[in-house]
Amino acid sequence: MLSLGLVAFTAPWILAALAALPIIWWLLRVTPPAPRLVRFPAIRLLFRLREKEDTPAKTPWWLLLLRLLVVTLAILGLSQPLWNPGGAFTASGPLVLVVDNGWAAAANWDKRRTLVADMIEKAEREKRQVVLVHTARKSASAPIEPSRLLRPADAKALFQAMVPEPWPVDRKAATEALRKVSLDARANVVWLSDGIESADQEPFLAALRRLGTVAVQVDPAEAQPLLLHAPRLAGESIVFRVERPDGERPAAYSARAFADDGRGIARQRIDFRPGEKSIEASLRLPTELRNRIARIDIERHASAGAVLLLDERLRRRPVGLVAPTAQGGSQPLLSDIYYLDRALAPFSELRRGSVAELLQRPISVVVLTDTAPASAEEQTQLKRWINEGGVLIRFAGPLLAEASDELVPVPIRTGDRNFGGALSWTKPLPLANFDQNSPFAGLAVPKEVTINRQVLAEPTVDLQKKTWARLEDGTPLVTADRRGKGMVVLVHTTANPDWSNLPLSGLFVEMLRRMVELSHGVAAGGEDRPQSLAPHQTLDGFGRLGTPPPSALAIESSMLDKVAIGPQHPPGLYGDAASRRGLNLSVSVTSVRPLGDLPSGMEKSVYRDSTEVDLKPWLLAAALALLLFDLFLSFFLRGLFIRRIPGPGPHAAAKAAAVALALAFVAGVPADGAAQTRSTESRDPAIRATKETVLAYVLTGDGETDRVSRAALIGLGRILTERTSVEPAQPQGVNPNTDELAFYPVIYWPVTASQAAPTREGVNRLQSYLRNGGMIIFDVRNQGSAMEDAGHLRRIVAGLNIPALQRMPDDHVLTRAYYLLPRFPGRFASNPIWVARADQAAKDGVSPVIIGSNDWAAAWAVDERGRGMFPVTPGGEVQREYAYRAGVNMVMYALSGNYKADQVHIPTILKRLGQ
Amino acid sequence: MATTETRVHLRQEAELAAARLPPLMVAAERVAATVQQGVHGRRRVGMGEAFWQFRRYEAGDSVRKIDWRQSAKTDKLFIRETEWAAAQSVWLWPDPSPSMQWRSKRSLPEKRDRADLIALALSSLLVRAGERVAVLGTGERPISGKVALDRLAQRILFRSKPAGKPGDLPAFEPLPRYATLIFIGDLLAPLEETDRLVRRYAAAGVRGYLFHILDPAEQSLPYAGRTRFEGLEQEGHLLVKRVETVRDEYKAKMTEHQAGLADIARAVGWNYALHLTDQAPEAALLRLYVNLAQLPG
Repeated sequence: MLSLGLVAFTAPWILAALAALPIIWWLLRVTPPAPRLVRFPAIRLLFRLREKEDTPAKTPWWLLLLRLLVVTLAILGLSQPLWNPGGAFTASGPLVLVVDNGWAAAANWDKRRTLVADMIEKAEREKRQVVLVHTARKSASAPIEPSRLLRPADAKALFQAMVPEPWPVDRKAATEALRKVSLDARANVVWLSDGIESADQEPFLAALRRLGTVAVQVDPAEAQPLLLHAPRLAGESIVFRVERPDGERPAAYSARAFADDGRGIARQRIDFRPGEKSIEASLRLPTELRNRIARIDIERHASAGAVLLLDERLRRRPVGLVAPTAQGGSQPLLSDIYYLDRALAPFSELRRGSVAELLQRPISVVVLTDTAPASAEEQTQLKRWINEGGVLIRFAGPLLAEASDELVPVPIRTGDRNFGGALSWTKPLPLANFDQNSPFAGLAVPKEVTINRQVLAEPTVDLQKKTWARLEDGTPLVTADRRGKGMVVLVHTTANPDWSNLPLSGLFVEMLRRMVELSHGVAAGGEDRPQSLAPHQTLDGFGRLGTPPPSALAIESSMLDKVAIGPQHPPGLYGDAASRRGLNLSVSVTSVRPLGDLPSGMEKSVYRDSTEVDLKPWLLAAALALLLFDLFLSFFLRGLFIRRIPGPGPHAAAKAAAVALALAFVAGVPADGAAQTRSTESRDPAIRATKETVLAYVLTGDGETDRVSRAALIGLGRILTERTSVEPAQPQGVNPNTDELAFYPVIYWPVTASQAAPTREGVNRLQSYLRNGGMIIFDVRNQGSAMEDAGHLRRIVAGLNIPALQRMPDDHVLTRAYYLLPRFPGRFASNPIWVARADQAAKDGVSPVIIGSNDWAAAWAVDERGRGMFPVTPGGEVQREYAYRAGVNMVMYALSGNYKADQVHIPTILKRLGQ
Repeated sequence: MATTETRVHLRQEAELAAARLPPLMVAAERVAATVQQGVHGRRRVGMGEAFWQFRRYEAGDSVRKIDWRQSAKTDKLFIRETEWAAAQSVWLWPDPSPSMQWRSKRSLPEKRDRADLIALALSSLLVRAGERVAVLGTGERPISGKVALDRLAQRILFRSKPAGKPGDLPAFEPLPRYATLIFIGDLLAPLEETDRLVRRYAAAGVRGYLFHILDPAEQSLPYAGRTRFEGLEQEGHLLVKRVETVRDEYKAKMTEHQAGLADIARAVGWNYALHLTDQAPEAALLRLYVNLAQLPG
């Protein structure tokens, strides 16, 4: 074995093959790769070529390197390298593995397993035999037997069958076993200790040293075994002690509590501070949950020592109800016992009977009602019991009101207080909220709970302190007093609805529960007679419950706290299903101490995390993978993938460029799309205008005018839709300077003073619009002055080629384009309108412009509800109607030209046809 | 070898390509001396449709031949004579050799497919014009009419491999004088062989066309690196250590070969054209059409 720091070679002579690498390199170098094969029809022409360049083809350097790497990896792999090798055995003899397989070894068993596997592998390599000795008894009677000298493979199998036991190791028996081992040569002894000091350690160590060199393995501090001590109840908490052998370093664990059915109930962090060897953990839980806890263990710490099995003893709070033997069966709803029974039964174990009967067995709480007063003898018994820790809960009543006794927390006045009676001014009183330091703190007080009658306490100095609950006027309702270890609680009213409706409310249940929780659990077994408890389920070394081993025996119940845990009595559950008792390891293992200093010559080391790794399979796998890669490359060089993968060089570059281009294109698409969307939007009015008939108005730049124009065309559009086959869409405002006008059959142009003349482009556009059959209605919108004051109109149309105008003659087509109209009123009625002279106008004499000043828009304009926005003068609504008709005629004129003019000739035509 | 299905598909393609051109009437000053009636007027009296001349009735002429309308205009009897019209016979030779069954890329058609396509399209055009077409090497007589096309397609698409040495030019076959012969193939045979064959046909009075079909890879030799070339017709193989070094020389050789073919054609008054398979078949067809329709006499 050749060791080079982290790597060692088991078969180093193979490495000599590395010397052959240069030869392989040379051989590979002169053998060129196979050429690419191409079938080519025009090969006859190639035959005639002379090849100019005659450099011999060489294997590319990277392929050469790859193949050399393959060979190197193969050689290295065959030389069986080990990563992180363990040290060699020092002694010449066999390997003796002494394994502590008690409860303390379970938590860190995996590490032991890997260590033993490593050891045995090493023994196999060095051809040594192995002796395996365990130190925990398997059965109470049989001694521990060491194994024979085993082949490493057999030893491995034997160890794999070994499991940690749930009881402590037996050093004495192990020492005996070690003494039985006789070897020819000095052995390599490895003691896989559990790290816990035990009795009879000295002879054990001596027995180890007798065999040869001893190496001791101990658990690291963070993996040391934990021991949970028996739990007890403290108030509302379950308290248990967690102990560890070595308290030097801080550590954190997590304790878990489970119910019978395996459901997790609680989790509690356990933080060891440096120097803390043991720590008290407490689980504070509501009673119902606490009563369901069946098992407590430490998370990620599988060991029988870290498991607590809880039994009935921790859960019991028997409540005794002092009841007359013959219960008032006739009228149960009037009985105190009935209400108490209903309130207490859900969360506690109820017993009924006389005081003497109840006190025969351990009991936590005794409830005494007014219907069953105690005799003097009973009072003495109760006093003694209270002093020992009992809790007495009393309810007041007529009897107590008449004659008080000593079993009350506060002196009671004779007589009771009655509220709200027939002759009283007072009303029944509700309860006040509970004080912070009252046991009832936090309970909600329902307002409908009222007290009619109560007994009153004598005012004393400490009455305040003893009061747990009071009425709204401050009189105490519940008082309590400590007596010895116990307590007396008095409720100043009855437990039946006679004196109050408290027993009918949920508050009554809650208050009783709080009071019962104050009591101590009954710790000692309540069994009257000792009984034999058969093992029901026992823990294995890892703290798992299972069927008991055959060695397990039954235990007398009285011995349960004194029994020695061992093969006969493994920790677990004993007894039958009705009365089950838990036996925990801490019964016999009372404390754990770390393994002390060892005698010199014993090497102590911690179980290692990292173990040696055989690199052979990895190296060979890598070589194989590279070989496959090489095969792929060879195929590639021969052009077998040529169709899919273009060779390196310009092709690859071209492909990359193509990919880049494609990516760029893809990236460019969204931008393109956006541009397209934009242009669609900008074309939107055009699309709309060409889809439907749209009336347009010129945007003057004056907001109010534009708004009126729009409203006017909407109003006119409605009239058109109602009365004609023209169904215009929403009107469109246009700016002749920028917008295309060709789509609109008619444009309404309100002339304002502030309006600028159209630009050259606008003039061109308007000109082409008029020339191609468009029509513009100019509205000067000034009453009376008509053409005389049309300066603004002149300014605006200065650039336009408007034909000569004339006042609209009476027989103009406009007057009968749809309606027969002599006049074209708008908001005003008086002004004439002007059209192109028939002989001047192109397009069959249809006038391209209509110029008026009647402010048609104001007459047409409607608001959202379709009502006219402006009044019209002087004709009112009739005139508005005519204004609409004028608008209809103008639109019809724009759409149908002088079609109606032809109709004039119909009589003549008919006449001619008739002839 | 392509499957039957693709071969049949080829015929549809050919019909499609041909459908865009009018029927091809081979321009022929002199038509092969066959007795078959056709469309080429022989400028002498014979069987045909077109009017040729009126002639005085002579004794012995069939009474049926008298043109009564003409005769009615005068006192004499006239006989209407028609021009002798004969059909031109065209022999096609799409190269069936293995070297044609090759393409350099999957996206390209095989040379043979292209040759067959062109041959089929050409037959379709010719048959529609009433010319007579035959496939060289089958030993069949030129045929015409609707049935002819089916038979030609059968011959072209599913002809068996040629007997004799593969890759060679077809064996000489006596053709009638003034027939037209069209070689469609890669014409990779040595120039001397081609020259010998063409001269022999020319001497027999056959006019012809060398239609040279090449794969673009054969034109440009786009390979690189150490390459082993293998022929398709058992020509052997050749290892070229660095193809890029011989590429220019190969191109020169290929150009020389093409020039040689063109020279051979020109020497006997034939036509030569080069067509690469990455070009559209319609272009090739149009070229053939134009050339054949005005074949210099």
